[in-house]
Amino acid sequence: MAHELTKKQAVIRMIGFGIASAAVYAGAFYDPNAFVELCSRGGGYTALPIATVLLVSFVHGGFASNLWTALGITAKVPAKTAQAVKTQTKRPEARATLNA
Amino acid sequence: MDVALDSLRFIDLTTANVIFLLIVGFIGGLVSGFIGSGGAFVLTPGMMSLGVPGTVAVASNMCHKFPKALVGAIKRFRYGQVDVKLGVVTAASAGIGVQVGIKIQNMILAAWGQAGSNLYVSLSFVTVLITVGGYVFYDAMKSRKGTGQDKTPALALKLQKINLWPMVYFKTANVRISLWFTVPVGFATGMLAATIAVGGFIGVPGMIYVMGVGGLVASASELVLAFLMGLCGTVNWAMQGMVDIRLTLIILAGSLLGVQLGAIGTTLVREVMIKVVMGSIMLIVAVSRALAMPKYLAQLGLMNISKDAVSIMDAVSFGIMCAALALGAVIILGAMVKARRAMARQADQTAYGQA
Repeated sequence: MAHELTKKQAVIRMIGFGIASAAVYAGAFYDPNAFVELCSRGGGYTALPIATVLLVSFVHGGFASNLWTALGITAKVPAKTAQAVKTQTKRPEARATLNA
Repeated sequence: MDVALDSLRFIDLTTANVIFLLIVGFIGGLVSGFIGSGGAFVLTPGMMSLGVPGTVAVASNMCHKFPKALVGAIKRFRYGQVDVKLGVVTAASAGIGVQVGIKIQNMILAAWGQAGSNLYVSLSFVTVLITVGGYVFYDAMKSRKGTGQDKTPALALKLQKINLWPMVYFKTANVRISLWFTVPVGFATGMLAATIAVGGFIGVPGMIYVMGVGGLVASASELVLAFLMGLCGTVNWAMQGMVDIRLTLIILAGSLLGVQLGAIGTTLVREVMIKVVMGSIMLIVAVSRALAMPKYLAQLGLMNISKDAVSIMDAVSFGIMCAALALGAVIILGAMVKARRAMARQADQTAYGQA
């Protein structure tokens, strides 16, 4: 389970991922026609659109995730996990016994 | 460098087009993050309505679908909802289903042409969505009246009791079933994905009603399946140079925001809401596709209908499809807002009780 980020941490990460995401989009749309032409050559160039969308899913996905956290829209801790933590019992202490 | 694009394959982008793709991408992502699939079905006709050729629309849609599914799957994996093994096992048979689906499509195309192929797609849409969607919706309404928790369906219980080698145990789903019973679910998912591009409309209900997986885990594991099928499909289309990366990146910008919100939503609402959203969308899309059928019947000479009526029905059909997606988004967001208000009220009451 991922640890919960504080709002401040989420804002910092959101800005970082946001800048990276903007840079990737700016790179792709700097000369969109040339980029589309490269991505549609087929053959060995097949890797280019796939690598691009994977990169976008990492940086823009990171931005989106931190954006929702920064806005206070977070997931509810699953009940099972909460219950599991609550029902954990202490290990019994070692006690000396006499086997007579 | 000034490069001229092949205008037959790639359209000129206008501001209105970009805004349309961003909005549909966001709503599609929201629905996919919540029910595991279903967000992409508006995008292909949506792009085609902007003038994008069919193959480029399908390829660009698929290229946005697999990274979106990846992000959604990672998010829901963190919530303990994804059964990776279940996704991978069903994806194996889904791969075969996709190949068979493509073969059938090609055979129909060769025999009856484009109109025959379109009629087959619409007929598949209507048949599958009405039967499966109708049952999902009925089951959701039945569950809503009860506790709202999923009970293992009778068929799944019977199948789980059959000890047919090799038996597979899916840990997160907590289901032990013969591998042979996962094959029809995966195969049908692949077939449907190759036919109407939304395999999840069979995949998720198949996992729930045939294998006995809970709605939450089924919709989350479907994202693994969508990622694997989407990646393979994208490689195929990209080899042929059909991906318009501009369209893909614009849709992704919206859908990555939506898919994460949808995934968060699954932890806030009752499990039955997944079935409610899925059933509602499937039934409305069935109506939309039914309205598209007379056009293809007329093209095949099986029905007489005026051109004006066809164009009105086309517009209404597309409008209903968009409405289905919008309704799904409204139900999800509404349920999330309601759940958050209830949580806030509960927190207030607890604080008041302690004071």
